[in-house]
Amino acid sequence: MTRTFTYDDVVRYLYAETSPQENDAIVEALTSDAEMLAFYLDGLELQTLMDRIVRSPDSRTTDNILRYSRQYPSSQTADLSC
Amino acid sequence: MQKFQVSDSELVSLYIRGDEKAFEKLVLRHKSRIYTTIYLIVKDQYVAEDLMQDTFIKAVDTIKSGRYNEEGKFLPWIVRIAHNLAIDYFRRDKRYPSVVFEDGSSVFNTLDFSEDSVESIQIRQETHEQLREMIQRLPEVQRQVLIMRHYEEMSFQEIADATGVSINTALGRMRYALINLRKQFSQRTPQYDKNIYLR
Repeated sequence: MTRTFTYDDVVRYLYAETSPQENDAIVEALTSDAEMLAFYLDGLELQTLMDRIVRSPDSRTTDNILRYSRQYPSSQTADLSC
Repeated sequence: MQKFQVSDSELVSLYIRGDEKAFEKLVLRHKSRIYTTIYLIVKDQYVAEDLMQDTFIKAVDTIKSGRYNEEGKFLPWIVRIAHNLAIDYFRRDKRYPSVVFEDGSSVFNTLDFSEDSVESIQIRQETHEQLREMIQRLPEVQRQVLIMRHYEEMSFQEIADATGVSINTALGRMRYALINLRKQFSQRTPQYDKNIYLR
Protein backbone atom coordinates (compact mmCIF):
# COMPACT_ATOMS: atom_id res chain seq x y z
CA MET A 1 0.00 0.00 0.00
CA THR A 2 1.33 3.47 -0.86
CA ARG A 3 1.79 5.67 2.19
CA THR A 4 0.52 9.25 2.10
CA PHE A 5 3.05 11.68 3.46
CA THR A 6 2.16 14.71 5.54
CA TYR A 7 3.84 18.05 6.11
CA ASP A 8 5.03 16.73 9.47
CA ASP A 9 6.89 13.99 7.59
CA VAL A 10 8.56 16.71 5.50
CA VAL A 11 9.59 18.47 8.73
CA ARG A 12 11.16 15.19 9.93
CA TYR A 13 12.85 14.84 6.53
CA LEU A 14 14.24 18.40 6.75
CA TYR A 15 15.89 17.44 10.04
CA ALA A 16 17.11 14.04 8.84
CA GLU A 17 14.82 12.09 11.16
CA THR A 18 13.35 9.84 8.48
CA SER A 19 14.57 6.35 7.60
CA PRO A 20 16.32 5.63 4.25
CA GLN A 21 13.15 3.86 3.08
CA GLU A 22 11.01 6.86 3.99
CA ASN A 23 13.47 9.21 2.27
CA ASP A 24 12.96 7.59 -1.13
CA ALA A 25 9.19 7.71 -0.76
CA ILE A 26 9.22 11.32 0.46
CA VAL A 27 11.35 12.43 -2.49
CA GLU A 28 8.83 10.69 -4.75
CA ALA A 29 5.94 12.44 -2.96
CA LEU A 30 7.64 15.85 -3.26
CA THR A 31 7.97 15.52 -7.01
CA SER A 32 4.23 15.00 -7.36
CA ASP A 33 3.01 17.66 -4.91
CA ALA A 34 4.01 21.23 -5.82
CA GLU A 35 2.78 22.76 -2.54
CA MET A 36 4.62 20.24 -0.44
CA LEU A 37 7.74 20.77 -2.54
CA ALA A 38 7.46 24.54 -2.01
CA PHE A 39 7.16 23.97 1.74
CA TYR A 40 10.24 21.75 1.67
CA LEU A 41 12.30 24.28 -0.34
CA ASP A 42 11.20 27.13 1.94
CA GLY A 43 12.23 24.99 4.91
CA LEU A 44 15.66 24.38 3.42
CA GLU A 45 16.14 28.09 2.81
CA LEU A 46 15.10 28.94 6.36
CA GLN A 47 17.48 26.31 7.74
CA THR A 48 20.34 27.92 5.82
CA LEU A 49 19.38 31.37 7.07
CA MET A 50 19.05 30.15 10.65
CA ASP A 51 22.54 28.64 10.43
CA ARG A 52 23.86 32.04 9.33
CA ILE A 53 22.49 33.93 12.33
CA VAL A 54 24.68 31.93 14.67
CA ARG A 55 26.60 34.42 16.79
CA SER A 56 29.76 34.18 18.84
CA PRO A 57 30.36 35.46 22.35
CA ASP A 58 32.96 38.12 23.08
CA SER A 59 36.47 36.67 23.45
CA ARG A 60 36.57 38.02 27.03
CA THR A 61 33.74 35.65 27.90
CA THR A 62 35.59 32.59 26.60
CA ASP A 63 38.80 33.79 28.28
CA ASN A 64 36.95 34.05 31.60
CA ILE A 65 35.57 30.53 31.19
CA LEU A 66 38.98 29.05 30.41
CA ARG A 67 40.56 30.92 33.32
CA TYR A 68 37.89 29.65 35.70
CA SER A 69 38.62 26.10 34.61
CA ARG A 70 42.40 26.47 34.92
CA GLN A 71 42.09 27.95 38.42
CA TYR A 72 39.54 25.43 39.69
CA PRO A 73 38.92 24.78 42.60
CA SER A 74 40.52 28.02 43.82
CA SER A 75 38.57 29.81 41.06
CA GLN A 76 35.33 29.32 42.96
CA THR A 77 35.91 32.76 44.43
CA ALA A 78 37.62 34.17 41.32
CA ASP A 79 36.49 37.49 39.96
CA LEU A 80 34.92 36.95 36.53
CA SER A 81 34.03 40.56 35.96
CA CYS A 82 37.21 41.56 34.11
CA MET B 1 25.76 17.57 12.65
CA GLN B 2 29.39 18.52 12.12
CA LYS B 3 31.96 15.71 12.45
CA PHE B 4 35.16 16.41 14.33
CA GLN B 5 38.50 14.56 14.34
CA VAL B 6 38.44 14.12 18.11
CA SER B 7 34.97 13.43 19.50
CA ASP B 8 33.42 15.41 22.33
CA SER B 9 33.44 12.38 24.58
CA GLU B 10 37.18 11.87 24.02
CA LEU B 11 37.80 15.54 24.82
CA VAL B 12 35.70 15.30 27.99
CA SER B 13 37.68 12.20 29.07
CA LEU B 14 40.97 14.06 28.50
CA TYR B 15 39.62 17.04 30.42
CA ILE B 16 38.59 14.85 33.34
CA ARG B 17 42.21 13.65 33.42
CA GLY B 18 43.39 17.26 33.66
CA ASP B 19 43.95 18.27 30.04
CA GLU B 20 42.91 21.94 29.92
CA LYS B 21 43.63 22.10 26.16
CA ALA B 22 40.87 19.53 25.63
CA PHE B 23 38.45 21.78 27.48
CA GLU B 24 39.54 24.75 25.39
CA LYS B 25 38.74 22.75 22.25
CA LEU B 26 35.28 21.93 23.58
CA VAL B 27 34.60 25.58 24.40
CA LEU B 28 35.79 26.83 21.00
CA ARG B 29 33.91 24.07 19.18
CA HIS B 30 30.54 24.76 20.78
CA LYS B 31 30.61 28.37 21.98
CA SER B 32 28.65 29.80 19.04
CA ARG B 33 25.82 27.27 19.18
CA ILE B 34 25.45 27.65 22.94
CA TYR B 35 25.67 31.44 22.80
CA THR B 36 23.12 31.66 19.97
CA THR B 37 20.69 29.46 21.89
CA ILE B 38 20.95 31.72 24.93
CA TYR B 39 20.76 34.90 22.87
CA LEU B 40 17.60 33.83 21.04
CA ILE B 41 15.89 33.25 24.38
CA VAL B 42 17.04 36.27 26.41
CA LYS B 43 17.33 38.69 23.45
CA ASP B 44 20.12 40.68 25.06
CA GLN B 45 23.77 40.36 24.14
CA TYR B 46 25.14 41.33 27.55
CA VAL B 47 22.87 39.01 29.49
CA ALA B 48 23.73 36.25 27.00
CA GLU B 49 27.45 36.76 27.69
CA ASP B 50 26.83 36.42 31.46
CA LEU B 51 24.66 33.33 31.06
CA MET B 52 27.24 31.79 28.72
CA GLN B 53 29.80 32.10 31.53
CA ASP B 54 27.36 30.70 34.07
CA THR B 55 26.65 27.74 31.79
CA PHE B 56 30.30 26.78 31.49
CA ILE B 57 30.95 27.40 35.19
CA LYS B 58 28.22 24.86 35.97
CA ALA B 59 29.74 22.46 33.46
CA VAL B 60 33.25 22.86 34.91
CA ASP B 61 31.95 22.39 38.46
CA THR B 62 30.07 19.24 37.46
CA ILE B 63 32.93 17.69 35.48
CA LYS B 64 35.74 18.60 37.89
CA SER B 65 33.81 17.38 40.91
CA GLY B 66 33.32 13.97 39.26
CA ARG B 67 29.56 14.31 38.81
CA TYR B 68 29.51 14.24 35.00
CA ASN B 69 27.83 11.21 33.47
CA GLU B 70 30.23 10.11 30.74
CA GLU B 71 27.56 8.02 29.07
CA GLY B 72 25.69 11.13 28.01
CA LYS B 73 26.57 13.40 25.10
CA PHE B 74 28.36 16.62 25.97
CA LEU B 75 26.63 19.05 23.59
CA PRO B 76 22.99 18.18 24.40
CA TRP B 77 23.93 18.19 28.10
CA ILE B 78 25.56 21.63 28.14
CA VAL B 79 22.91 23.09 25.83
CA ARG B 80 20.27 21.95 28.31
CA ILE B 81 22.14 23.80 31.08
CA ALA B 82 22.25 26.92 28.88
CA HIS B 83 18.59 26.57 27.94
CA ASN B 84 17.49 26.21 31.57
CA LEU B 85 19.54 29.21 32.73
CA ALA B 86 18.17 31.32 29.87
CA ILE B 87 14.58 30.30 30.61
CA ASP B 88 15.10 31.04 34.31
CA TYR B 89 16.44 34.48 33.42
CA PHE B 90 13.61 35.09 30.97
CA ARG B 91 11.02 34.24 33.62
CA ARG B 92 12.72 36.42 36.23
CA ASP B 93 13.04 39.23 33.70
CA LYS B 94 9.31 39.13 33.05
CA ARG B 95 8.61 39.60 36.74
CA TYR B 96 11.06 42.45 37.36
CA PRO B 97 11.84 45.45 35.21
CA SER B 98 15.41 45.40 33.97
CA VAL B 99 17.87 47.86 32.55
CA VAL B 100 17.65 47.96 28.77
CA PHE B 101 21.10 47.94 27.19
CA GLU B 102 21.91 49.44 23.85
CA ASP B 103 22.30 46.50 21.49
CA GLY B 104 25.84 46.29 20.10
CA SER B 105 25.15 43.25 17.94
CA SER B 106 27.25 44.29 14.97
CA VAL B 107 30.39 44.60 17.11
CA PHE B 108 30.50 40.94 18.06
CA ASN B 109 28.82 39.46 15.04
CA THR B 110 31.43 37.13 13.60
CA LEU B 111 29.84 36.38 10.24
CA ASP B 112 32.38 36.61 7.46
CA PHE B 113 31.48 39.45 5.11
CA SER B 114 34.98 40.40 4.05
CA GLU B 115 34.55 39.59 0.35
CA ASP B 116 31.27 41.47 -0.11
CA SER B 117 30.37 45.02 -1.03
CA VAL B 118 29.23 47.42 1.67
CA GLU B 119 25.71 47.37 0.25
CA SER B 120 25.39 43.57 0.18
CA ILE B 121 26.85 43.38 3.69
CA GLN B 122 24.23 45.82 4.90
CA ILE B 123 21.35 43.97 3.22
CA ARG B 124 22.54 40.65 4.57
CA GLN B 125 22.97 42.03 8.08
CA GLU B 126 19.45 43.46 7.89
CA THR B 127 18.12 40.09 6.72
CA HIS B 128 19.84 38.33 9.60
CA GLU B 129 18.60 40.89 12.09
CA GLN B 130 15.06 40.54 10.70
CA LEU B 131 15.25 36.77 11.03
CA ARG B 132 16.37 37.05 14.66
CA GLU B 133 13.43 39.37 15.32
CA MET B 134 11.04 37.06 13.47
CA ILE B 135 12.16 34.09 15.56
CA GLN B 136 11.66 36.13 18.69
CA ARG B 137 8.17 37.14 17.55
CA LEU B 138 7.01 33.54 17.11
CA PRO B 139 4.48 32.21 19.64
CA GLU B 140 6.47 30.87 22.60
CA VAL B 141 5.69 27.18 22.02
CA GLN B 142 6.79 27.43 18.38
CA ARG B 143 9.94 29.38 19.21
CA GLN B 144 10.81 26.85 21.89
CA VAL B 145 10.57 23.87 19.52
CA LEU B 146 12.45 25.71 16.77
CA ILE B 147 15.35 26.62 19.09
CA MET B 148 15.46 23.14 20.62
CA ARG B 149 15.49 21.41 17.22
CA HIS B 150 17.62 23.76 15.18
CA TYR B 151 20.11 25.16 17.69
CA GLU B 152 20.11 22.59 20.47
CA GLU B 153 19.95 19.67 18.02
CA MET B 154 17.41 17.74 20.10
CA SER B 155 15.32 15.20 18.21
CA PHE B 156 11.56 15.77 17.95
CA GLN B 157 11.04 12.85 20.33
CA GLU B 158 13.44 14.41 22.86
CA ILE B 159 11.62 17.74 22.52
CA ALA B 160 8.28 16.00 23.03
CA ASP B 161 9.59 14.30 26.17
CA ALA B 162 11.17 17.50 27.52
CA THR B 163 8.07 19.63 26.95
CA GLY B 164 5.47 17.03 27.92
CA VAL B 165 3.66 16.87 24.58
CA SER B 166 3.27 14.20 21.91
CA ILE B 167 5.75 14.00 19.05
CA ASN B 168 2.96 15.00 16.67
CA THR B 169 2.40 18.20 18.65
CA ALA B 170 6.14 18.96 18.61
CA LEU B 171 6.23 18.37 14.83
CA GLY B 172 3.13 20.50 14.31
CA ARG B 173 4.64 23.37 16.30
CA MET B 174 7.81 23.20 14.22
CA ARG B 175 5.78 23.13 11.02
CA TYR B 176 3.84 26.24 12.06
CA ALA B 177 7.07 27.95 13.15
CA LEU B 178 8.50 27.43 9.64
CA ILE B 179 5.24 28.54 8.02
CA ASN B 180 5.11 31.67 10.21
CA LEU B 181 8.72 32.57 9.45
CA ARG B 182 8.10 32.17 5.73
CA LYS B 183 4.95 34.29 5.99
CA GLN B 184 6.81 37.03 7.87
CA PHE B 185 9.58 36.99 5.27
CA SER B 186 7.13 37.41 2.42
CA GLN B 187 5.49 40.37 4.20
CA ARG B 188 8.66 42.27 4.98
CA THR B 189 9.23 45.69 3.44
CA PRO B 190 11.41 45.74 0.32
CA GLN B 191 14.90 47.13 0.89
CA TYR B 192 15.35 50.58 -0.61
CA ASP B 193 16.93 53.89 0.24
CA LYS B 194 14.16 56.12 1.58
CA ASN B 195 16.27 59.21 0.96
CA ILE B 196 16.16 58.55 -2.77
CA TYR B 197 12.56 57.44 -3.24
CA LEU B 198 10.74 59.42 -0.55
CA ARG B 199 9.11 62.62 -1.91
